[in-house]
Amino acid sequence: MRLSSRQRALLGFSLLMGLLVVALISYKAYDLGSDFSWETVKNTTDWQSVLLVNVLIGISVTLLILELKWDALRVLLTVVVALLFGYLMTAVFSLDAADDLIRGDFRVQVLSDAPSAVDLSYEQDVTADFDPAAGEARYHFAGSEGDEVTILAYATDAEAGLDVQVSLLDSGGEVLETANEASRRFTRQYSDYLTGETDAVIDGFALPANGTYTILVEPEAGTDPVAAELGVALFSDAAPALDLLYNGPAVGDVFNKENADNPVTEARYTFAGSEGDAITVLAYVLRSNVAADLKVALLDADGNTLVQNSDASREQVETYSAELKSTKDAIIEAFILPADGVYTVYTQPEPLTTGTRLSETFKTTNKAYDAFLLGPLSRLNRWVIWIRDALTLIMLGLAIAIVFRANQFSLGAEGQLYFGALASGVVGLTFGDLPKPILVPVALLSAATAGFLWGLLPGALKAYLGANELVSTLMLNTIAQRFYEMVLTFQLQPPDAGYTASEWIPENGLLPPIIDLNGDTVTVAVYLLIFLVLLTWVLIQRTPIGYEIRMIGANIKFADFGGVNTRRTIMLTMAISGIVAGLAGAHLAMGIHRKLILNISIGLAFEGVVVALLARNNPLVVPFTGLLYAYLRTGSQVMERDTNISAEVVRIIQAVVILLITAEALVTFFRRRRIQRRGTIELDIGDSGDNNGTTGAASGGTLEGAHV
Amino acid sequence: MFDQDLLQNVLGGIFSAAFLASILRVTTPILLPSLGALISDRAGVINIGLEGTMLISAFTGVVFSAYAQDWWGAETGKTVGPWLGLVMGLLMGILTALLLAFFHLRLKANLILSGIAINFLGQAGTVAIMYELTGSRGDTQGFLRSLEMPFVQLPDRMNDIPVLSFFFKVLDNQSVMTWIALVMVILVWYFMYRTPTGIHLRAVGENPEAAASVGIRVQRIRYLALTISGCLAGLGGIHMSMGYLQFFQNNMTAGRGFIALATPSLGGGHPVGTGFASGIFGLFYALSIRIGTLQIPSMLTQMLPFVATVLALVIYALQGQLTTRVRQLRAAEGEGFDATFWQAIQRLSVLHMFLAVIALLGIIIAISMLAAPDGFRGSADYSEGDVRWRALAVGAVALALILINLPFMLQVERIGRKAYFSAGAAVLSLWLYLGLLFMLFLETTDLDNLSTPLGFVTGLVAGAAIWLALGGYYLVQKLRQDYRIV
Repeated sequence: MRLSSRQRALLGFSLLMGLLVVALISYKAYDLGSDFSWETVKNTTDWQSVLLVNVLIGISVTLLILELKWDALRVLLTVVVALLFGYLMTAVFSLDAADDLIRGDFRVQVLSDAPSAVDLSYEQDVTADFDPAAGEARYHFAGSEGDEVTILAYATDAEAGLDVQVSLLDSGGEVLETANEASRRFTRQYSDYLTGETDAVIDGFALPANGTYTILVEPEAGTDPVAAELGVALFSDAAPALDLLYNGPAVGDVFNKENADNPVTEARYTFAGSEGDAITVLAYVLRSNVAADLKVALLDADGNTLVQNSDASREQVETYSAELKSTKDAIIEAFILPADGVYTVYTQPEPLTTGTRLSETFKTTNKAYDAFLLGPLSRLNRWVIWIRDALTLIMLGLAIAIVFRANQFSLGAEGQLYFGALASGVVGLTFGDLPKPILVPVALLSAATAGFLWGLLPGALKAYLGANELVSTLMLNTIAQRFYEMVLTFQLQPPDAGYTASEWIPENGLLPPIIDLNGDTVTVAVYLLIFLVLLTWVLIQRTPIGYEIRMIGANIKFADFGGVNTRRTIMLTMAISGIVAGLAGAHLAMGIHRKLILNISIGLAFEGVVVALLARNNPLVVPFTGLLYAYLRTGSQVMERDTNISAEVVRIIQAVVILLITAEALVTFFRRRRIQRRGTIELDIGDSGDNNGTTGAASGGTLEGAHV
Repeated sequence: MFDQDLLQNVLGGIFSAAFLASILRVTTPILLPSLGALISDRAGVINIGLEGTMLISAFTGVVFSAYAQDWWGAETGKTVGPWLGLVMGLLMGILTALLLAFFHLRLKANLILSGIAINFLGQAGTVAIMYELTGSRGDTQGFLRSLEMPFVQLPDRMNDIPVLSFFFKVLDNQSVMTWIALVMVILVWYFMYRTPTGIHLRAVGENPEAAASVGIRVQRIRYLALTISGCLAGLGGIHMSMGYLQFFQNNMTAGRGFIALATPSLGGGHPVGTGFASGIFGLFYALSIRIGTLQIPSMLTQMLPFVATVLALVIYALQGQLTTRVRQLRAAEGEGFDATFWQAIQRLSVLHMFLAVIALLGIIIAISMLAAPDGFRGSADYSEGDVRWRALAVGAVALALILINLPFMLQVERIGRKAYFSAGAAVLSLWLYLGLLFMLFLETTDLDNLSTPLGFVTGLVAGAAIWLALGGYYLVQKLRQDYRIV
């Protein structure tokens, strides 16, 4: 066979591209990194089979270029444009990505080596050994005007013989109230604390002003100071005047909680300090996965900002590693308080600028798209999932390509897939003890038969009754799905199963794996697929029925006049397509899920439509488009797992692909626009009026003008 | 086979005003897109994207009705919300249809494939945005406080008038969308048959070249037709999410947009016929909800509307073939063509079709019984074997019915020649169906002992009466004259 120089160039180019793809994918799949060592390749599980599949991917690229020539460029361009559209959509969905920077749980803490200006707060008690030499013990607390406080002073051990008296002093040292008795009522009411009448209680004293107060505990006048354990408890229903204590527990809240009615946007916490105290204020996120960027300020009693900080340094993060999670947290370190008094820690997320918002949006989108576009190659098990899904999609693409070739818009592949899966599953489950070489072909054959029959039905309806195949196949899909669910629920589901699924198909009924990566397998379906692709190509291009199919696709009236038995051919076309779809179902049951599950396919067949359309219904190109589409599908799942973007994005991309790939006049549309803008040629773009909707872009090669 | 009491409850429920009301309720989301399909079909640009359009409108309506409460406060929002949802849903429906129209009419994309793309867009787009807004993939319940369209209350006085009270029960407390749908039937009829644009629209559908040659702007008409269809599908979608249910659910239209593609052809391409055809699907939907109380697998009842669609397609296609064949006979016989005789035969032939098609349901039930014996066992103590032989019996009877009716479906002329065989087949089949039905009815009275024979006799008599009324009488007369038989 002699080739012209053009053909030679094309062949060379396609082989080169194929090799390039093999090299790239192998490089990623074997995870070679920077060291190209043969050992890494050999250490990979089933490395020969992985290589084989990679070579097959390369061949699919070669076939794409050889079969579609320049049109291949349009296929890729369509996908790129659709991906760009998806990128924009993802960006729109990520517009609120920056909100993560102002959202989340945070905590505030004040640390200091200095003694605390207060040692008690409401609803708290302290115990300490009473020092008879000092003769008194003092405790400090902060209160607001009108707070009604109850103060208990008691010896924890009633036998110790310590009779106490308690006084409340204001910040100036004036005695406001003194008590030395605890009545019966109180000993009963506070029986957890009080032990007898020797203890003292100040009950329900209303504080006269804001400020710090001192509790003074002494032995009752006329009694001896005895060494004993002394307890002081402070109760009040009022809100505590102070939120923070030195080295006390961290306090905090959630900034901008999602779906909250009144989201918290800033927070203030008070603490009491004395002049000269060296304090460290920390504001940090509760968990390291919270992305909020905090800033903190210290305000004095009048509300003036004394010092503020928005980002911690790396060293500070290391020093306070228990609290600070990253440099986005804020810290005020070793600040000397100028005076006694109540201070406020003010914290808020750093305000967002439009720039931050935009850059966060694109950062998130890029991250999502990174996962989307590179995800399937990032790990070998994802590569396996990609190939596995591609096998199903290629089969479905072939099934759809056959019917679309005859210009029949049958979408029955979904129902045929359900019946194929059901048939193969039932055969596998029932005759599990037959030897593998018999059982697997029988199961595949029954799946093919089931698909054939379920395809024959709408075929006959269309061919002999003229029933719209689109409507009938969609209805039959639902019927098939419900029937599958019914059989699964009432016949195959084990009685004690918690969810609707059959038992595992016995080993003998499964397709033998060629790559087994801890249960994720690529099976011999790869060989079956090569056979199917070639068979479909031969069927369409090299057999009488294929010729009839193409004739019907081109012009059904012409085919009818030309002596083609159009009815029989249409029926057979849909039934043959059913065989392939049934086998895809068998692959799902025997190769992927290894049992029958509910929702074994959620609209997979419709994705087959995209695969077939992208391939221009050419069976030799379907492997490439199937791989491409499965790649995007797997990528979208990786994206969904890694980021917050839903995998439906890929289905929207799918819709855009269909619209763009079938829009025959797209290229001329843009050319006309350009010419019109230049104003060089007046073009009449009036109504053509002869546009009869059902003439097919689906038949191959009707997309002239694609590469002009 | 079934639990008797339950079955009676179900049957009692079926023949009631409440059931008619529920038919009306479930018909609405089929009727509206059906009218859309009708208009686009009659303009020669059938809108396959109805399903996706419905979903988009349904979702838009829910979102805007929920956010209206945030924008105008709970009080005002509750009154404004539904209508804002309606307007925005309609707008999105129109935009979706215009997208389809632009791609098909301007960019010459294949109509069916771009319609499929619109459906993808509707199904995936709504879920993607719902996930963004609520974080849920399933439905918006509990996330969006969406509202529903108001319900129309009829004046209570109607309840006191004897005949009107029945209609009162049917029409009272229906969503305003149901009323809109009924009004739409009339509006669409008026538009298609009484306005110049409507007549142009039908002309474009019949023959675009001819229409263009007399100066009708074909593209413009088709844009209009697709826009209207998107608008009607949008209304249907809004009813789904703001009347039929009060929230949006992933893929909540569940094939109604596709069923709507089948109804115009069943309705003879006429708005009123389409209305009735939608009503039949509504009946099947309502029926599938009603017999859901029986202890048969829910999947089977869910299948019902879809099986009905396929069967309806078959009957419609068979009927079309029949008409063609009779027309051929008329052309062949010329003056001697006996129109009345052939009309009678045509009617009887359709009767046979129906009988055979109903029998197909019997086969489906038999297969289902074999597939799901547990589901059919009910509260009675039937063993699996019992169910199995009952299934085989049902299947065998159904198969026999199909076989005896099949010859008359396929060859019209035979009915003429074998009138008595036709009578036998029809009466026998009808006897079985009606007998079963009467049996069940009489069971509710105290005629327990009589019920079985009485039911069968009533069925036989009614079957014969129906056969004679549909044209059997004329047939027998004719045969007596022409062939001197009997």
